[in-house]
Amino acid sequence: MDTLLSLFTSLRWQDIVDILLVSYIVFRLYILLRGTTVFHVLIGIALLWLSHRIALFLGLIVTSWAMQGIMAVTALIIIVVFRNEIRSVLQAKNARALLWGLARKESETPVDIIAESVYELARSHTGALIVLPGTDDVDEVIHSGIPWGGTVSKEMLLSIFWHDNPVHDGAAIIKGERVEEVGAILPLSHRKDLPSSYGTRHRAAAGLAEKTDALVVLVSEERGEVAVAQGSRVHTVKQRDHFMQILREHAEVPGQRKAYLKRQRLELGIAALASILFITGVWFSFARGWDTLTALEVPLGFINRNPGTEIVDTSANSAHLELSGSSTLIRSLRPEQVNVRIDLSKAGAGPNTVPITKESIALPPGISLKKVEPTAVTVTLDKVITKEVPVQVDWVGTLPEDLRLAEVRLEPEMVEVMGGEEVLESVSTIYTEPVPLDNLEPSGTITVRLALNPASLRIASGSKDKVTVEYVTKQRLH
Amino acid sequence: MNAKILTFFIAMLGACLLFPQQAHVQGGEKSLTLAQAAMCEEIRDNAPYNLGVVFSMANEKVCCFTMFDPVPERTFIYHSWFRRDRLITSIKLSLEPPQWATVSRIQLREADKGPWRVEITDQTGRVFRTLRFSITD
Repeated sequence: MDTLLSLFTSLRWQDIVDILLVSYIVFRLYILLRGTTVFHVLIGIALLWLSHRIALFLGLIVTSWAMQGIMAVTALIIIVVFRNEIRSVLQAKNARALLWGLARKESETPVDIIAESVYELARSHTGALIVLPGTDDVDEVIHSGIPWGGTVSKEMLLSIFWHDNPVHDGAAIIKGERVEEVGAILPLSHRKDLPSSYGTRHRAAAGLAEKTDALVVLVSEERGEVAVAQGSRVHTVKQRDHFMQILREHAEVPGQRKAYLKRQRLELGIAALASILFITGVWFSFARGWDTLTALEVPLGFINRNPGTEIVDTSANSAHLELSGSSTLIRSLRPEQVNVRIDLSKAGAGPNTVPITKESIALPPGISLKKVEPTAVTVTLDKVITKEVPVQVDWVGTLPEDLRLAEVRLEPEMVEVMGGEEVLESVSTIYTEPVPLDNLEPSGTITVRLALNPASLRIASGSKDKVTVEYVTKQRLH
Repeated sequence: MNAKILTFFIAMLGACLLFPQQAHVQGGEKSLTLAQAAMCEEIRDNAPYNLGVVFSMANEKVCCFTMFDPVPERTFIYHSWFRRDRLITSIKLSLEPPQWATVSRIQLREADKGPWRVEITDQTGRVFRTLRFSITD
């Protein structure tokens, strides 16, 4: 539980953007491809990937290898086999539909096409039975329907009910703009009060209308009339406009559209949630393996030191850090992203032991600290003072044997240096950088830089870091 | 009355300004004074020979010559030899009145190369002078 909590708390804002962005892409793919065969194959690939990860987790080497191979081949097959379907999906959509729009799965019932087809069938004395479902589920009472899946058109409806068509005796189920099923067998009405002229087609229409809120349209083969069965009523509709009015009223049955929108929202919500969950799982699987460790040697940084003091000694100059994180983050880790800062705000002159805590260590998001060595550092601070000390030339090399360096005058003879009180206590002379004697002119003046030792010393403002050396050589006496 | 007091004070001030040294000499004693100090290669005829500030290892030794004049009473001084601020040796030397010259020396070794100084001090640690020199190849 703690691990899970730490996983979520260590998420960077980039990680959240990463997950949301890819989730949206997956959600858009669902919107674009739902209802197509490609979508089902993609679901298959996702399941394969899940199996692959499980096989990896369980250490099933060959299985995971095989899954990986199958996934690669399947992805290739999708592109090759379904290229036309993918192209039609992408070409049919404009940029807004691709990136933002929520295309409706169902569309308006094409009332005018149905009306034109029905009256054409009536004119030609072709019997027909068309079911337009309401909010009730008609699948429970209709049997033996043959899936059709075609878009409603006049030609299609005429051909479905053509005498020589094997399915012309059954009913056609129209949902939205599509003919879902044909040749469907409807339940017959057992009412006694129906006119004796009603044949089987009329009784079937009345039977379904009694059991559901569907609107059933029937065309009488003998009389060439159009009738409508709804609820317990079956009545003939002479006028085409009236018929269209009935269809429109049925299509706008209160609650039907609301129920559809509710269903649509629920479906999209589930799809969005599933996308986020799936991508979060994939993201954690890829980016958050806690099996990667690395070690870094990080220099210590000291902050908030009293300006009147200086560091003269530390028990350690660097810290050894053991870090963990996903292999991706560990690989992209740069040493300058990791800092160890020792807070000296409470440190005074003398030795101070300061613990190296998690708060002292700055790590990039997603990287966690496993171990730090040492766990504390002793920092010795000294009070900064200034001191005036004499300068001495550090001569090196050899003079010619017949010469001696008789006199030396320095300008200035003294310099003011700054440094820790304890350090300066033991400093009584500042030496110059080594001055070679080998090629020295017999007499003259040279300028030499001062060599500050220890390095923590510095020249106080107002003093120079160079001295002028005036020297005189004389003949050596034998 | 005021004019007389003012004249008296001016006369006293003038007397103090005119005769201060005589008053000091008459009231104090002669103190130990360093008359000469030098680093040299060797001593010849009680005098420093080949004075300098750089000495070669080839000389094998280096000397610190000091002469005190006057020496009011029998006393001691110290020649403290430092190499790069580190005290190497402190040599106690006796002085006899009325004047006295004294010498300390060190034998040179390979490790002695570098900047040196000799502090000439009395028994109380008062520094008479610091002589600075280098030992080179």
